[in-house]
Amino acid sequence: MPRSQSTEFSEYGDDSSVREVRANGLCMKTTEVEAKLDEGNIQEAESSLREGLSLNFEEARALLGRLEYQRGNVEGALRVFEGIDLQAAIQRLQPFAAEKQTSRKSRSRTESPHVVSQHAASLVLEAIYLKAKSLQKLGRLSEAANECKSVLDAVERIFHQGIPDVQVDFKLQETVSHAVELLPELWKQAGCYPEAMLSYRRALLSQWNLDNDCCARIQKAFAVFLLYSGVEAGPPSLAVQIDGSYVPKNNLEEAILLLMILMRKFYLGIVQWDPSVMEHLTFALCLCGQTSVLAKQVEEIMPGVYHRIDRWNTLALCYSGAGQNRVALNLLRKSLHKHERPDDLTALLLAAKICSDDSLLAAEGVGYARRAITASKGVEEHLKGVSLRVLGLCLGKQAKVSSSDFERSRLQSEALKSLEAALVLEPNNTDLIFELGVQYAEHRNLDTALRFAKLFIDATGGSVLKGWRLLALVLSAQQRFSEAEVVTDAALDENAKWEQGPLLRLKAKLRICQSLPLDAIETYKYLLALVQAQRKSFGPARSISQAEDDRDNEFEVWHGLATLYSSLSHWKDAEICLAKARESKAYSAEALQTEGIMYEKRGQIHEALSAYINALLLEPAYVPCKILISGLLLKMSPAALPVARGLLADALRIEPTNRLAWYYLGLVHKDDGRMADATDCFQAASMLEESDPVESFSTLV
Amino acid sequence: MEYQSAAAAAASTAGPSSKARAAILALSSIVTAIPPSLASSENPALALLHDPDVASQVSSLLRRPGSGSGDDNLCRWLYDTFHSGDPDLQLVVLRHVPTVAGVYLSRASQRKPDAGFECVLLALYAHATTARGGQSVTVTVPDVSHPSVYHETRDSSANSIATDLNLAVVSPSLEPHGTVRSSRRSRIVGVALELYHSRIAQMPVGSKIDFCEFCVAWSGLTGDPYKDDAGDIGGGGDVDRSPISGQGTGSGRIPMPWEFLQPALRILGHCMLRPAPGEEKEKEKERLEEAAVAACRSLYARSVHEIDPKAVLATGSLLRLRKIGLESGPEADHTELPSQNVIVLSSSSGSLSSLGK
Repeated sequence: MPRSQSTEFSEYGDDSSVREVRANGLCMKTTEVEAKLDEGNIQEAESSLREGLSLNFEEARALLGRLEYQRGNVEGALRVFEGIDLQAAIQRLQPFAAEKQTSRKSRSRTESPHVVSQHAASLVLEAIYLKAKSLQKLGRLSEAANECKSVLDAVERIFHQGIPDVQVDFKLQETVSHAVELLPELWKQAGCYPEAMLSYRRALLSQWNLDNDCCARIQKAFAVFLLYSGVEAGPPSLAVQIDGSYVPKNNLEEAILLLMILMRKFYLGIVQWDPSVMEHLTFALCLCGQTSVLAKQVEEIMPGVYHRIDRWNTLALCYSGAGQNRVALNLLRKSLHKHERPDDLTALLLAAKICSDDSLLAAEGVGYARRAITASKGVEEHLKGVSLRVLGLCLGKQAKVSSSDFERSRLQSEALKSLEAALVLEPNNTDLIFELGVQYAEHRNLDTALRFAKLFIDATGGSVLKGWRLLALVLSAQQRFSEAEVVTDAALDENAKWEQGPLLRLKAKLRICQSLPLDAIETYKYLLALVQAQRKSFGPARSISQAEDDRDNEFEVWHGLATLYSSLSHWKDAEICLAKARESKAYSAEALQTEGIMYEKRGQIHEALSAYINALLLEPAYVPCKILISGLLLKMSPAALPVARGLLADALRIEPTNRLAWYYLGLVHKDDGRMADATDCFQAASMLEESDPVESFSTLV
Repeated sequence: MEYQSAAAAAASTAGPSSKARAAILALSSIVTAIPPSLASSENPALALLHDPDVASQVSSLLRRPGSGSGDDNLCRWLYDTFHSGDPDLQLVVLRHVPTVAGVYLSRASQRKPDAGFECVLLALYAHATTARGGQSVTVTVPDVSHPSVYHETRDSSANSIATDLNLAVVSPSLEPHGTVRSSRRSRIVGVALELYHSRIAQMPVGSKIDFCEFCVAWSGLTGDPYKDDAGDIGGGGDVDRSPISGQGTGSGRIPMPWEFLQPALRILGHCMLRPAPGEEKEKEKERLEEAAVAACRSLYARSVHEIDPKAVLATGSLLRLRKIGLESGPEADHTELPSQNVIVLSSSSGSLSSLGK
């Protein structure tokens, strides 16, 4: 340090830059002592300190050690500390504690033994602590940890009654806090993870009177250790468990608890904001799939910490991850507003993806997707394929609700074009391959759909159920029923028992198509047994959504059987199955439809009509009943033709590829005498007949 | 398919170190060279675990075309060794889980699953199933408005703990599987990864690096656009980078459902943020860190490509943690004593008020 500067500093009174030691009202320059130490003469240095500052042996040694440590000579420090019998010093301190214990009543009057013990303890403990630090710096980590641990053990032994807050020696508290914080770090560095775990818990579960920052640092370090060390801690010991309080039972729980406590400290202003805590919590909660809890945490963060757009986008991800897509979309609408951050690619893609699930939002999604395509340039160019993909999905969905044929076909071909363009950029994206397969299938381009279905199964190694279903459905649409059944059987082999339900249902339907009703009944029986076994094997512990799935599955089976028996005119059996189906689902358009068909076949036209109408009341967009009603009206009176026509037009708006709707519309036109229109409709119906799958392609997505 | 092995049967009655010696002997007929010091060391199993030479020989055998068939000797050895029941020897098998899973999954997505690999993975799956009794692993997400062992709450009305605690399933219940049905493939490999993660603290760094490298291949993306400098510099320093660098080759791309991605992310989290023991070599630490960050970037790119919110959040948080770490530099050591020019020693006769502040 330049001289002028040092003199300048010394003018500021006590804040002297002259290095010295003071004790007992005496003062000594450190340079004098250090000179002796440099000569390697510890004893002389020690005696000069004892004389100069009138200290005893231990005090002088401790001070020497500290001097050596502070100027970075850790080896020297260690030599000095090894010259003191620290354990013996601790032993000597303990009687004070015992005395304190016996004279509890008179403590207020006789402060002095207590104070004395604190000062002496402070000195000895600091010496041990510095010894641990010196060992740490020399890489002797286990030894360092043991020294550091002995500081804490000693504190517990000497002050096992605790020290009243007001009387804690500042120095002593500092040493204790340091030791508490250092110990787990040392064990960690030494690679002794179980010990580290114990010392973290010891730090946080015992009363060390740590200050807020220190406590928060330890809590964070422990949470990080729990999350990433890969060592399972096991629950804390019973001794610390208090009735009614939450006890974490594994690493993730304990880490999440600690991080949440830290978050609470941030809100309360007890400690300063630390962004990494939020990131660790994000990671931990995502691992448990609890993004809704994460959303709550993000919402609780004080304003001013995150930019509002970042907060909206994070929240959108959280809510979307928790299945609350509408909430997510509302947030994204805010963040993608032109005055906010309209070009954020991740947000645009998420918004478009959410919109692609809902035909009423699809048009909005198209807008986001187009903006995403424009925005994917520079380093983000790799997202162009994804943008094109979501554009294709949105367009395909939008086509479903388009008001005119012209617009529908325009949207559909645009959707295909966009998906094909995406495939050029991402030839290995299996989701994309599947979506192309479905789009082509819905477009009734069955050969191409078949190619993509096969490609998908190859690329996923047959691991995804919907791929097998797509292949079987496309084959069934090509009227290749026996091949479709072979595919279904192969798929059954590749799937575990509990996932076979949809495949078995498909198989039963394929058998019906091949005019094998008895085989179909066999398949249904097996499926029924499976569904019921599944419900029992998981017992009441299943979640609500799973229980709903079970009910749906059981309903499907009974309903499938009812339809089958009804087609065979086994009315009794059909009725029993239908009743069973209604036990799982009381109000269902499908069941009412089957009931109506049974009435109609037995000539009870009015009962049939009311069943169909009831079905429409339950589900206003239920296409099969619209067609059935039209069929009945057609037979009943020519006056009802306009109504029938209206219903059919509506049905075709919802399902443009519905063969029966085209057929009945043809009949309506014919009865009305519009032969050319009738011919067109029949032609459409006959073309579609050759491409009807056993289950609608839209059930795939 | 079940392997039967006389060596394993013979070893099952012997002590741990003789089991390990038997395993080393069996391995010596499969790989080209095993240092003789291994068998004679005090703990042969751990010596085997940490021998980089043998590990790289095993690894290259596993990656060889045609490996992993039903009669593959190495797979048989892994299977037998895992069934020896000796925890240290099981570590040796787990050490190779990244490579086994990596090679197996890449081939399975080309419809070429290998029976030998499947046997090893099923053995691990069965082990986990038995150990857990098939039960799921759950987490009760705490609610900090209730008191816990680590904090108190002032609100006295919050005494009942039974309110809305969220129960989250970290790993669903396990059913026994005798074969790998393709729809369960990700789950079975995922469980093997969970097992690997449960012992990851004992794994050598090389094994973790293998895992990180496979993550990049699995994602099918390079993740370069998310490099620390990308975005900030904005085209200045990265002219020579291919314009669609995020695209990657995609050759190793595999389906990554959550049941597989979740344990992979836990492993990756460890690789990035684990406590590094002081004895580890700086060079190895750096290599692992590099590999882990690259893996993380690739998986982040993949998550964005799939528009998977949960995965975007998880991988994004790991990347941001690294960024925070880089920006703030090494953390201040709070356990260091403040450097003082004036050291004031309060002697035994001093009073409290004279203490240095």
